Amino acid sequence: MPLPVSNKKAIHEWKLYLFILPSLIAIGLFAYFPAISAVYHSFFRWSGGDVKEFIGLQNFVTAFSDPVFWSSFTVIGILVVANIVKMIPSITLAVLIHRLHSDRWQYWYRVLVVLPMIVPGLVTLFIWKFFYDPNFGVLNMVLNATGLKHALVWLDGLFGWDVFHANIPIAWLGEPDLIIPALIIWGFPWIGAVGVLIFLAGLQSIGTEVYEAADLDGVTPFQKFLHIEFPLIMTQIRLMLVLMIIGTLQGYGLQFLLLGDEGGPGGRGMVPGLWMFNRAFIAGELGYACALGLFLFVFILVLTLINNKYVRVDK
Amino acid sequence: MNSTTSSIGGLKKSDWPKHLLIWLILAVELLPLYMMLQISMKDDAIFLDNTWLPSNPLTWMWENYIFAVNLVLPYVANTVVVAVSATVGTLSLALLGAYFFARYKMPFSGVLWSLFLLLMLLPGVANIVPLFALLKQLNLLNTLYALIIIGIAGGQVFCIYVLRNFIEDIPKDLFEAAEMDGASHFNQLRNVVIPMSGSIIGTLAILTFLGQWNDFLMPLIILRDPELFTIGVGLIYLDGEYVKQWGKIMAAFFVASLPLIIIFLLTMKLFVRGLSSGALKG
Repeated sequence: MPLPVSNKKAIHEWKLYLFILPSLIAIGLFAYFPAISAVYHSFFRWSGGDVKEFIGLQNFVTAFSDPVFWSSFTVIGILVVANIVKMIPSITLAVLIHRLHSDRWQYWYRVLVVLPMIVPGLVTLFIWKFFYDPNFGVLNMVLNATGLKHALVWLDGLFGWDVFHANIPIAWLGEPDLIIPALIIWGFPWIGAVGVLIFLAGLQSIGTEVYEAADLDGVTPFQKFLHIEFPLIMTQIRLMLVLMIIGTLQGYGLQFLLLGDEGGPGGRGMVPGLWMFNRAFIAGELGYACALGLFLFVFILVLTLINNKYVRVDK
Repeated sequence: MNSTTSSIGGLKKSDWPKHLLIWLILAVELLPLYMMLQISMKDDAIFLDNTWLPSNPLTWMWENYIFAVNLVLPYVANTVVVAVSATVGTLSLALLGAYFFARYKMPFSGVLWSLFLLLMLLPGVANIVPLFALLKQLNLLNTLYALIIIGIAGGQVFCIYVLRNFIEDIPKDLFEAAEMDGASHFNQLRNVVIPMSGSIIGTLAILTFLGQWNDFLMPLIILRDPELFTIGVGLIYLDGEYVKQWGKIMAAFFVASLPLIIIFLLTMKLFVRGLSSGALKG
């Protein structure tokens, strides 16, 4: 803990305040000022220049009756749920690596898990965009080669989706009904390098005697996971969950890169952040975009506070 | 006591099913990387003919890489300037700030600390629009300075948070001994804190650098001149212009990843250990 100091000593050490000053100026100017400016400008019709017109709560009223904004929350809700499911492979992989006997292999698997991070995230997304290409795309080639395409066409006939047809390449990013599935499937098998490493760090705290005792009791591998490993990495899982939810809610880079600033055909992939971006920089309605941003901010803030209250993340 | 050799997974069972499963998962996970590398040596005709396997080295299309280097190298240079400056700036400021919080409990340090913590709750997404307007007023739009400054400001909270915890754990005696010798606070930071926190500074530096390298949303808003483009914006325009020439595009992707690959090879141990030691417990 930092040492307490008397006022006299504090005055003597006044130079210490110079240490914190640069950081304070940085966050004051580039975090707090924009935040306050966002609140202020959400009451204006404003296109970025000096001219602005006070319109009271009009922006918020418009936002409330904005069908695109509402549907964007449905989309992001689906993506959050999907992302929760997509955490399972990372947990599984961490447990598998942790259970190996060989320390050397454990290390090299870690390296292999981290390896995809050498490619910038946006390049990975672009490669997936290429995987989704109807004619050149690897995804369609895999589906054709394995015969899964036939299964999809058959299921389509059964349920009447009208998206998969026998002799037409699947347009993953071109068919409105496939936009959300495409936003979910990308990144398969959904290994998050940071997640795996953090789970592994949590697993390390399990002593070997726990496993030996479990082995003597003839416990199956899955029961081991349920009763030994899962409770011990609960903290890490919660942490990743909180980070993932906040990240998903405010993110729009994925949607922007795969679908463009309109959210793809029919705007099916439109998420709140992208709509804000679209209104601000495509439509030039910066005041309205500020109001949308505030909505999103309050929404995330409330979720974070609920999280902090009910989901304790111990250090 | 032969249980010391086989412990965690199970006493008698061998590990090969686990290895098999791990390799299976990793193979699919690494597929994009593999496809990028092998397609970067092909043109579309060869690719359609032979999708999965690397092509014959004699037919490797080196011209894809000549194209890629000419196109992407300026972007790489810009990104290196931004990412290095932002990383150095972020960590310098954060070290100073963390030292302030960790060393003494000065008057108002509690209030100032909550100013930083509060920002953790503030999602950056609401800030983007006014930030754009602010940069316009400061005449920083369409400059690399804007990206550097925003990167530095944005990294403060996380880095100060992690570094403060770390500096507080350094034994107080070390500071006191330095003080006896008449070392100023700045010298204590330089001679006590920095030598002791090499690995944490390294980990934070890698994370900050990666964050800058991967960012494309801010550059997209800020940069207009193609000469100033960073990797992010550059590749977005490339994606629009050179549609369907996949070999060339993949080569460009690889060139854009090269600096990260070099850093990864140099710091692999630090990287893997730093992230997995739970050093970033916050």
